[in-house]
Amino acid sequence: MSNASLATKPEQPSSNVSTTEPPMRRRRGVNREGLEAGRRSTRTILWILLAAAMVLYGFPFLYLLFTSFKTPIDTIAVPPTILPREWTLENYTNALGRSGVVASFINSIQTAVISTVLSLVLAVPAAYGITRYKTPSGQVFIMAALVTRMVPPVAIGIPLASMMASVGLADTPIALSIAHTTISLPLSIWLMSSFFESVPRDLEEAATVDGCSRLGALWRVVIPVVSGGIAVTAIFAFLASWNEFLFALLMTAIRSQTTPVVIANFQTQFGLDWGSMTALAAVYSIPVILLTLLLQRKIVAGMTLGAVKG
Amino acid sequence: MRISDRRFALYLMTPAALFLAVFVAYPLFRLVADSFFKISPIAGGPRDFVGFQNYVTAFTSEAFTNAGWRTLAYTLVVVTLEFALGLGMALLFTTLGKKSQIWRTVFLYPLMIAPIVAGLLWKFLMIDNFGLIGTLLHQAGILSDPNQIGWLSDPNIVLFSVAIPDIWLTTSFMCLVLFAGLQNIPGDLLEAARLDGARAPALLFRIILPLLRPVIAVALVVRGIDAARAFDTILIQTNGGPQSASETMSLLIYRTMIRFGDPGLASAMGTIYLLAMLAIAFVAVATIWRPGKDN
Repeated sequence: MSNASLATKPEQPSSNVSTTEPPMRRRRGVNREGLEAGRRSTRTILWILLAAAMVLYGFPFLYLLFTSFKTPIDTIAVPPTILPREWTLENYTNALGRSGVVASFINSIQTAVISTVLSLVLAVPAAYGITRYKTPSGQVFIMAALVTRMVPPVAIGIPLASMMASVGLADTPIALSIAHTTISLPLSIWLMSSFFESVPRDLEEAATVDGCSRLGALWRVVIPVVSGGIAVTAIFAFLASWNEFLFALLMTAIRSQTTPVVIANFQTQFGLDWGSMTALAAVYSIPVILLTLLLQRKIVAGMTLGAVKG
Repeated sequence: MRISDRRFALYLMTPAALFLAVFVAYPLFRLVADSFFKISPIAGGPRDFVGFQNYVTAFTSEAFTNAGWRTLAYTLVVVTLEFALGLGMALLFTTLGKKSQIWRTVFLYPLMIAPIVAGLLWKFLMIDNFGLIGTLLHQAGILSDPNQIGWLSDPNIVLFSVAIPDIWLTTSFMCLVLFAGLQNIPGDLLEAARLDGARAPALLFRIILPLLRPVIAVALVVRGIDAARAFDTILIQTNGGPQSASETMSLLIYRTMIRFGDPGLASAMGTIYLLAMLAIAFVAVATIWRPGKDN
């Protein structure tokens, strides 16, 4: 796994680059001299290709947005139109006016926040223990965390739900956030491990020489250095919980239902109310899309690391 | 000093390990245990030990074997298309260089969208009668009737249709990982090959792909595991229908448990499913990735 992650770390030249021709390092990468297209005509064609791909890729979500501003009747008009004939917020007022919708937003936020905090509190020390003291148990642990990723949620959802019920936590955001943490914790451990890996060891050594305890060095010296990494990990844990559906479906009833379950329920409970569904889906998706686009640079770095490791 | 360091590391890992033991390992143990019982779906109902009966039922049921094949086909379709599209986009972004950076970011947006929303969105595009895709193809003169292709209602193609949202959601992920890998291929190497007269296909197949191998392997395995567990997008689009034609393993287990009220059988299916995933992932990792060869 280590060589694979090396190969995808954008900041770190892979070993064969640095060994073949050290002076060329600045110009490493396929860009510039390798793959980057030279001729003007080729470049124009490629830009047109990219534009076409972006339109195709962006269109589905734009269509969802446009549809959410149509009148409820126009949403299912035959043949459908791309743009609304008449722009209205009716779908939004309908969707948000439904009983349980606003409550589900609060549940989603609560669940995601608890799960994020729980993931970080558990993952940060564990990842530090794994990367700083390369003990055999640490290596076993990180492999075990990887295997956890393969467990299908449908397989543990029901036993988890009955465990929660037996301790009186049935249908609560706490129970659901614990379930979500089973997904985000392994990912968070992998992510945090790679962030700790990049912290120079001398830093804590200097701190311990100055009389800091090991825990003190972690808390006062290392944690501040990796705070950016912690933020990225937090975003991933938050997103994992925010978008999760299966555990939410299995473990919540009326009280702690999150918005994805409510969106899915629109289909059965109220017939096929496409207008409200698209409006609610838009309201649920846009904040996270904007947030991640704003923080994109950090997230891209984290995603490549997490992707390759977790 | 050594030992106390070791102990300190152990203390740091203990909370997370305990958490995973209680909330992942124990439920898994319960799952396996339940698979040997005939369980009444009513809480507190009877629970009779039946040995391997549930496993026999699972393996002899057509629904189970069909769901297994469907899951495999679904995973292969999703991962193959994602890889091809993701590599194409990664190469496109790489050849366009720095100026394409903002588009690279925009290209990532589906990764933030909940799978349930993506499934809903594509269902809306593909649905019979008022789906936009059929209408557009009709207006372009490709289809004689907007409903000529029953994307989600024709049992022969539905398994591919339900895969589309999954592909749309995570091609960005493939692209991102492959793009990062491409940045680490030494430009001089490509330049040298080009001077030697290598053309684009040779560059791709002889140099780029072999060098990307570890990255490709990890990306394929990670995405393969996720695709094999797909649930949200399929449930919202077809609920496994029509005629179970899009019922993959996750859906079958879910329905066996919830709709047909047979937790024992569902647990047996879940256990087989998990073991199969572990076995396939292990083989995949061992063959394509070849770990432990640090250079």
